[in-house]
Amino acid sequence: MHSRLRLELIIERMAAPRACKLLEAAGLTGYTVLPAISGFGGETRWSRDTDMSASSDMVVVISIGAEAQVHAALNQLENLLGSHIGVLSVGEVQVLRPGRF
Amino acid sequence: MDIALGTLLSPIVLFFLLGLVVALLRSQMTIPEAFAKGLAIYLMMSIGLKGGVAISKGDLGWDAGFVMISAIALSFLLPVIAYALLRTTTRLSEVDAAATAAHYGSISIVTFVAAGQATAAAGLETSGYLVAVAALMEVPAIISALIIAQRGAAQPGSVAGSDRGELAREVLLNASVVVLLGSLLIGWVTGEAGMKTVAPFFVEPFQGVLCLFLLDMGLSAGRGLRNGWRQLGPGTIAFGVYMPLVSASLAAGVAALNEMGPGDAALLITLAASASYIAVPAAMRLALPKAKPSIYLTLSLGITFPFNLIVGLPLYIWLANAISAGAA
Repeated sequence: MHSRLRLELIIERMAAPRACKLLEAAGLTGYTVLPAISGFGGETRWSRDTDMSASSDMVVVISIGAEAQVHAALNQLENLLGSHIGVLSVGEVQVLRPGRF
Repeated sequence: MDIALGTLLSPIVLFFLLGLVVALLRSQMTIPEAFAKGLAIYLMMSIGLKGGVAISKGDLGWDAGFVMISAIALSFLLPVIAYALLRTTTRLSEVDAAATAAHYGSISIVTFVAAGQATAAAGLETSGYLVAVAALMEVPAIISALIIAQRGAAQPGSVAGSDRGELAREVLLNASVVVLLGSLLIGWVTGEAGMKTVAPFFVEPFQGVLCLFLLDMGLSAGRGLRNGWRQLGPGTIAFGVYMPLVSASLAAGVAALNEMGPGDAALLITLAASASYIAVPAAMRLALPKAKPSIYLTLSLGITFPFNLIVGLPLYIWLANAISAGAA
């Protein structure tokens, strides 16, 4: 097994394309976007089924990569999270096929 | 009084109230998300087609052109008034006030559909081109609010990952604009003969589908209100009620100047009085991401939409009848 960094970004749906563009620009080779159902944060409860525009929906973006690429992405994502609602975390994970990340 | 009672006791309003009440009582009932979005597209296609067919019968003249230009001007102006009122009567920040103002200059297509049903029930005739007016009033308010935001400290600035075309795509190619204008054009081109082929799907079931959709809107409004009411102060809640009346008064003036019939005037007044909760929130998340969606969404969907549906519609029909009687 080989060590890599796993970046997990919970972010509003409308900003997800911006985040994905930043991940690609940082050289990360892949990511997955998952829908989020409901949550609580910033003294506000949110849920997918309260907004016809789906503009307040949240998604989870997961990407795994080498330290250099993840750190390059973090610099840009910090700027993005200065404007958009979101939570970012990074942790170490073990991967089977290191050439893919 | 008859119009007010007729509107309040119509199936669409009662289904809306059912959804609103059970959501406020914390019921877990839901309408599947994709199904609800499908219903919204169905309703927009249906009114777009009907509007297009009406235009194909010669419904589009100079008068309609003047109404469209007036409606666009109104949509540009309303956010300016809304912003000034919000900044003087509430504690909202510049960016929150600008984003909220955009919602009140744009329109709610569901309120427009409900107004179409209410005017028909009141025996008033309406013109097909009003559907085009609805689509045209979606966008100017967004531009107006962005200009207001850029003039103040709420200047959006550049966000990492953003590109020039994304806002234009969201504003001009959102589902409401594309489906409404596209269906209007298809209805215009295919006319009455084309409509006959799709009428069993787009005409007869319309009322039932609207009831289903309004039930979902009631659930959405109730849950939005339950989750977001803490973000709204008394001044902001009051704005959600009096701003539609300010907009309705201005639209009544526009309708009188254009010598519109009572049915068309009622629809124009309703469009101006309604607040967006589909097209504008999405645009605001891109253009003014620092604005709090819990404020503008709760206000437009949780306060103004129910107000317009329950109290506003009979009032706007009465106002339209009054200005038409005054002009006659």
